[in-house]
Amino acid sequence: MTNSLKSKKGIKSNRLWLFGLFLFAVLLLFLLNIMLGSVRIPFKEVWGVLMAREGVRESWEYIVRNSRLPRVLTAALAGIALSASGLQMQTMFRNPLADPFILGINSGASLGVALTILGTGFVGGLFLPAANSGGEFTLALAASAGAGAVLALILLVGRWVKNPTTLLILGLMFGHATSAIVSILIYFSAPERIHAYSIWSFGSYSGVNWTQLKVMAIVILAGLALLLLLPKGLNALLLGEDYARTMGLNVGLLRFVILLSASVLSGAVTAFCGPIGFIGVAVPHLARNIFKTSNHKILIPAIVVIGAAVSMAASLIAQLPGSQLMLPINVVTSLFGAPFVVWVLLKRKRGAASFNV
Amino acid sequence: MPPVLQTSALKIGYKNGSRTPKIIADSLDLELRVGELVCLIGPNGVGKSTLLRTVTGLQPKLGGEILLSGKSLEAYAPRDLASQVSVVLTSPISVGAMRVDELTAMGRFPFTGLFDRMSAHDWDVVRQTLEVVGVDKLQHRYVHTLSDGERQKVMIARALAQEPRLMVLDEPTAYLDLPGRVVVMNLLHDLACGHEKAVLTSTHDLDLALRHADRIWLMDEAGQILQGAPEDLVLNGSFAQIFNRAGVHFDPHSGTFDTQSGGLKPIFLEGQGLALIWTRKALHRAGYKVEEAWTPGCKRVRVEDQGGAYLWHAELDGLSETFPNIHALLQRLSA
Repeated sequence: MTNSLKSKKGIKSNRLWLFGLFLFAVLLLFLLNIMLGSVRIPFKEVWGVLMAREGVRESWEYIVRNSRLPRVLTAALAGIALSASGLQMQTMFRNPLADPFILGINSGASLGVALTILGTGFVGGLFLPAANSGGEFTLALAASAGAGAVLALILLVGRWVKNPTTLLILGLMFGHATSAIVSILIYFSAPERIHAYSIWSFGSYSGVNWTQLKVMAIVILAGLALLLLLPKGLNALLLGEDYARTMGLNVGLLRFVILLSASVLSGAVTAFCGPIGFIGVAVPHLARNIFKTSNHKILIPAIVVIGAAVSMAASLIAQLPGSQLMLPINVVTSLFGAPFVVWVLLKRKRGAASFNV
Repeated sequence: MPPVLQTSALKIGYKNGSRTPKIIADSLDLELRVGELVCLIGPNGVGKSTLLRTVTGLQPKLGGEILLSGKSLEAYAPRDLASQVSVVLTSPISVGAMRVDELTAMGRFPFTGLFDRMSAHDWDVVRQTLEVVGVDKLQHRYVHTLSDGERQKVMIARALAQEPRLMVLDEPTAYLDLPGRVVVMNLLHDLACGHEKAVLTSTHDLDLALRHADRIWLMDEAGQILQGAPEDLVLNGSFAQIFNRAGVHFDPHSGTFDTQSGGLKPIFLEGQGLALIWTRKALHRAGYKVEEAWTPGCKRVRVEDQGGAYLWHAELDGLSETFPNIHALLQRLSA
C-alpha cells in the first residue's frame, strides 16, 4: 500500500514538474518572439515596452506594440485552439489521425476565401488588395462564413447521423467536394489572384491586428470554456459511446457540445490565420506521450501549455530571425514538427500502445 | 422484492427507417433475481447481443415491457439507470496510457458531478472493487500492458464499481484462454451469490455455463428462449434439440459436444478408471463405435492398469497384441 501510494505521488509531482517546464518554455518563447525578428530588440527595451515605461526608442515600441505582440499572442491562442480542437476530434472519433479539420471546417473556410479572392469579376477587384495585405476583416469574414456554414451543417447532420465513422466520412467527402470547387476557381483565375489565395492557404500569424485579435480571443475563450465542461465526457468516450451511455452520460448532448467547441476553436483560427496544419494532430499526441496519460483532466491543461509553446516556436522559426524573409507557418510546423514528433514517438518504448486514443 | 429484471411480451429487433422493423424475437417473458447468475446461450446470430443491448437500454425495444426493480426501463433517467445496470461489452476497448485504477474509477461516473470530483467514498468503492475482482495488485499498471484475461477482469471491476443491481456481460470470455474463462465465470458466480448482484452473461462456453450458471436462457434461431436450471435443460433434451446440427452432437452424459457421435466400426472395450474414459474418446475419434457387450468376431481392447502405468491388450482379427500407449494402438488399428 505504501509502495503504491508512493508511486502515485511520484507520478503527480512528475507531472507538476513537466507542467512548470512547459510554462517556463511558453514565457521564454513569448519573450524571444518579441525580441527576435528582422530587427533584434534587446530584452531591456522589450521589458520597457511591456511595462509601459517611458524612454523606449519609438520605432522599437511601434514594432513591439503593433507587430510582434499581436503576432505572438495570435500564435499562442491559435496553438491552444488547434490543439484543443484536435484533442476533442481524436477522442470523439477514437482515431489518432483525426485533426481539427477532419470534419471540413477548413474546407468551408477555404471555399469562402476562394470565392472571395478568386470569385472574379463582380467582387474580385474589390477584395484583391485586402487579400494581398494578408488578411483584413474581409478575408476573416469570408473564412468565418465558410467555416460557420460547415459548422452548422455538421451540427445538423450530427443530430441524425449516429455513427461517428459515418460522420467522419461525410466530413471527408465534403472536403473533397469543396476542394474540387476551389480547384475549378483556381483553374479559371488570374495568376495574381491564385497567388493571393496560396498566401492565405499557407497560413500566417502576422496579419492579425489588435481588433481582429480581440474577436479571435473572445471566440477561442468561448470554445475553451465549453471544453472545460467536457473532461468527464471525453474520458467516458475513450471507452466508446456505448459505455459512455451506460455510465449515465447524455451522449447526444455530449457529442453536440464537442462538435460545437471543436468547430468554433478551429474555425476561429482558420478565419484569421488561414488553415494551419499539423499542430492540431501532433500536440495531443505529444501531450499524451509526455504526460503519459489519456485522462482529459490532465490532457486539457497539458495541451494548453504544449500547444502554445509549439505554436510560438513555429512562429519564431517562421520569422527567420536576423533576415528580412519570412516562412509560411504551415511550412515550419510540418518541416520542423514532423521529425520532432517522430523522435518523441520512437524514443518511448511503448510509444505505439500509448498513442492509442 | 420485485425481480431485478422482468420482461413481459418483449419484442426486440431493429427499426429499419420507415420500412418494417426487423424483428429478432417476440413475446419474451424473462425474469432475473438478485443472487442469480444467468447464462444466455444459443448459436451465433440468433440475437443474444440484441437482447442484452435492449435490456440495458442501449437499443430501443420494439414492443412489450422491460421492468428494472419494478420500474419501467424507459422511466429511468440515464444516471439512475446507470446505477441500476452496468455492462461489459464484447469488443475489447483500445485505450492507451490509462491506468487500471483510473479505468475502474470511471465506474463512479453516475455518482460524480459534471467535473467528476471523486469523494473519499468513491475511492473506497474503487479500492474494494479492485480487491473483490482480484486486480488490486495491478491498479497502477497501464491497461494496454495487461493480458486479455487481466483486462477483462478490470472491465468487470469497472462495471462493478457502478454498484449496480444488475450486471450484463456480452461474451466476457470470448478472447480468453481456458484458465482465464474459468476464472471469469467463477468471479461472475461469486459476484452473483456473494455480492447481491444479478448477473446476466452471454457465452459460447457451454461447459462453463453448465457448471456455473444458476439458470440458463437458451435462445434458438426462431428467437424463442427456453429457461431453466442447466441440468433441467439437459434432461428435457432442450440442449440436444437446439445445438444438434450437422455433424455436432450434444452428449448428455458428459455435458460436452462431440464433433462425431462415434463411428460405425464396432469395437468392444473393457477396463476401468481414467484410462478407459480416454481410450473410449480416442476410439471415437478414430471412427469406432464402442459396444457395451462383446459379440464373437468383434475387435476387442482391454486396458490393464499396472498401478499408474497402463497396457493396452488388443485382439484384432484373431491376433493378440499389446501396446504401450494409445497412439500405438490407434496406429495399428488404422494400418
